[in-house]
Amino acid sequence: MRLELRWTDVDDLAAASATRLVGKRLEVDLQALGTLLATDARLTGIRLDLVHPGERCRIGRVFDVIAPRAKLDGGEDFPGVLGGVARAGDGRTLALAGVAVVATDQQTDSVGTLAVIDMAGPNAALSAFGRTHNLVISAWPSAGTARSDYLAAVRLAALRTAVDLARTARDTEPDRVEVFALPPSPRVPPEQAHLPRVAYVFQIHSHQRPTGLDEGILYGDPVRRMLPTVVHPNEVLDGAVLRGFMGRSVTTWATQNHPMIRALYAQHGRTLWFAGVVVTVAQATEPERVRSAFLTAGLVAQTLGADGAVFTKIGGGAPHVDMAQSASQCEALGVKTTVVVEDMSTDGSAEGMLLFDFPGVDAMVNVGSSQEPITLPAMDRVVGADDLAPKLLGETRATYGGLCGAIEQVGATRVMAEVR
Amino acid sequence: MALRVVCYLNQFFGQLGGEEKAGVGPQVVDGAVGAARAVQQALGDAGTVVATVICGDNYAAEQAERAVAEMVPLVAAARPDLVVAGPAFLAGRYGVACGALCAAVQAQLEVPVVTGMHAENPGVELYRRQVHVVQTGAEATRMLDDVKRLVALGLKLARREAIGAPVAEGYFARGLTRNVVAGAVAADRAVAMLLDKLAARPFASEVPRPAFPHVPAPRLIKTLEGATIALVTDGGLVPRGNPDGIEALNATRYGAYSIEGKTGLDAAQYDNPHRGYDTTWVKQDPHRLVPVDVARELERSGAIGKLHETVYSTVGVATTLAHSARMGAEIAEKLRAAGVDAVILTST
Repeated sequence: MRLELRWTDVDDLAAASATRLVGKRLEVDLQALGTLLATDARLTGIRLDLVHPGERCRIGRVFDVIAPRAKLDGGEDFPGVLGGVARAGDGRTLALAGVAVVATDQQTDSVGTLAVIDMAGPNAALSAFGRTHNLVISAWPSAGTARSDYLAAVRLAALRTAVDLARTARDTEPDRVEVFALPPSPRVPPEQAHLPRVAYVFQIHSHQRPTGLDEGILYGDPVRRMLPTVVHPNEVLDGAVLRGFMGRSVTTWATQNHPMIRALYAQHGRTLWFAGVVVTVAQATEPERVRSAFLTAGLVAQTLGADGAVFTKIGGGAPHVDMAQSASQCEALGVKTTVVVEDMSTDGSAEGMLLFDFPGVDAMVNVGSSQEPITLPAMDRVVGADDLAPKLLGETRATYGGLCGAIEQVGATRVMAEVR
Repeated sequence: MALRVVCYLNQFFGQLGGEEKAGVGPQVVDGAVGAARAVQQALGDAGTVVATVICGDNYAAEQAERAVAEMVPLVAAARPDLVVAGPAFLAGRYGVACGALCAAVQAQLEVPVVTGMHAENPGVELYRRQVHVVQTGAEATRMLDDVKRLVALGLKLARREAIGAPVAEGYFARGLTRNVVAGAVAADRAVAMLLDKLAARPFASEVPRPAFPHVPAPRLIKTLEGATIALVTDGGLVPRGNPDGIEALNATRYGAYSIEGKTGLDAAQYDNPHRGYDTTWVKQDPHRLVPVDVARELERSGAIGKLHETVYSTVGVATTLAHSARMGAEIAEKLRAAGVDAVILTST
């Protein structure tokens, strides 16, 4: 499988009468885009805003962030959700750097579960989205639209937009081409057979909250009964995996640019052999967790024949334990593991950082505490959250978890909790 | 501007005398005396020791609360910008007194404090979470070196400068976590750590393994037929309306709910605010969480002696260890007082 990400750099984003790329400036026909998105009967009152790095602007009610991508020579975009169900991960895909699509949630009253993005000030540097030009989509549910249907519609609007934007690079020579090619897992050339085989166990959803019917996560499947499954890493990079609707310190953008898959590709053939990816879900009950853990360990140790595995989680406490339980089962089969955890302490004490203590699970990297308070400085403009503007405009308090892109549980970020 | 510094010493380092003077109460001397002169030397032009508070080891140890209550006003009267206590080295009574005074000054006067002691001084374990305790030798043989490190950290605290990691600054880890920005993204660090582990090279986990105490299940000293059994859960069962206002996460409260006269739990009368798991099924039938129905059958058939008429419930998600331990102890105390012999604890 060979995936080419054909990157085009964008350094400006502007409203115009046509959607096209002019040099490095991306021009967007907001009216035409708004009309396209309004065809979804579940949405009403579409609003599109453009915000820029360095602008004293805060985006509120952030639900998810999507990277602009589009298949170049056929193939389906975001298969199973936007496009038809088809395999992803092969061929050429257009990708825009420096620009992102931000979807907001205008429905929920519990705004504490939503995040903000700061385009200037000290917090802009903590998030990838403080450094991108962002097209912000605000849309309201039409009468009678249930919560899950609304979120499905909002996400679909963002995916449509992401494809629309990326297609502008169709006739442009890319600034760089990234190639991801991994042969079938067992076929290791003899001269590289000494390298340790490393697998990645990617928890893609947590059943702490049941998924909606339209909450496609793996090729459009809401993963309600999913058992651990082996996928090619390119499928993840090419739109097969989307974040569900529970967005605790994880964005679809980070999955599309998956940092762990990139890190393993970067070392592949040099210090390790990338043996493959196992996708899992965090289960709701103990028998499900145990079943999932030993099935994962079997795939990692016996099917992929890995010597080592890295793990990431999604969601909160139960997924944290679920991940560690799988890692522990791997260790029992002789597979060395490293897990990426959040600092789970809610009172800032080192004693509360972990919710598990399993044999062998002793190598831990952390992505920081999402509970730690952070100050949001005053801004000149609030986008995506008119109703919250009075609060979000002035200096206010939030947490790291409330700053979208400051903590990405898949490991895309540099924030970490240090014990002092 | 030179900072005003107050030192705290015991009778020995304050030059009042040895063990025979260990009973003397708190007193204050203008300027630097005894070991406080080393503090003045380390301060140089950066600060002036304006007063030295001295208290005997026995007085401080035997009447600890009173000693601290008497010393805090003496410290306050000198209007310090920084308080330096000790160093106490391996002297146990002295170390505990340094920690106690620092904790009180920091909390009541909001003045920065620093103390120092040897790793095995009991004052370290008692106070390192609350105040900065600099690691020193066991004895005063390298007094000036140790004092210099105390003063260096104290000046940073007094000037509200950023404090580095424990190893870098030489203080005992306070067991607090703080977000910092690492040099590489977590994914790169995870792969590097795995390669080290695979190659059997040393690696530094970024999270300490917790020292969860092992609590063995006590033996049931009666037969089940004669035992009173209680049902307790952290799965979030509450009567409709959540009368105790148990938090959806990070709970600090629990509820005690009577099941007297009930052969089961009517779903219409109960709710579940728990935010840590999918509560669809336990809301549909609360027995999936708290099996009152089956327990009543066991009671009727004589398989158990009696079902305790109160169910205790809280929400176990993101709950701090401190609150978990407190709530557990309180519930256990009530169960014991009610003559309960055993508990069925259902978690989620």
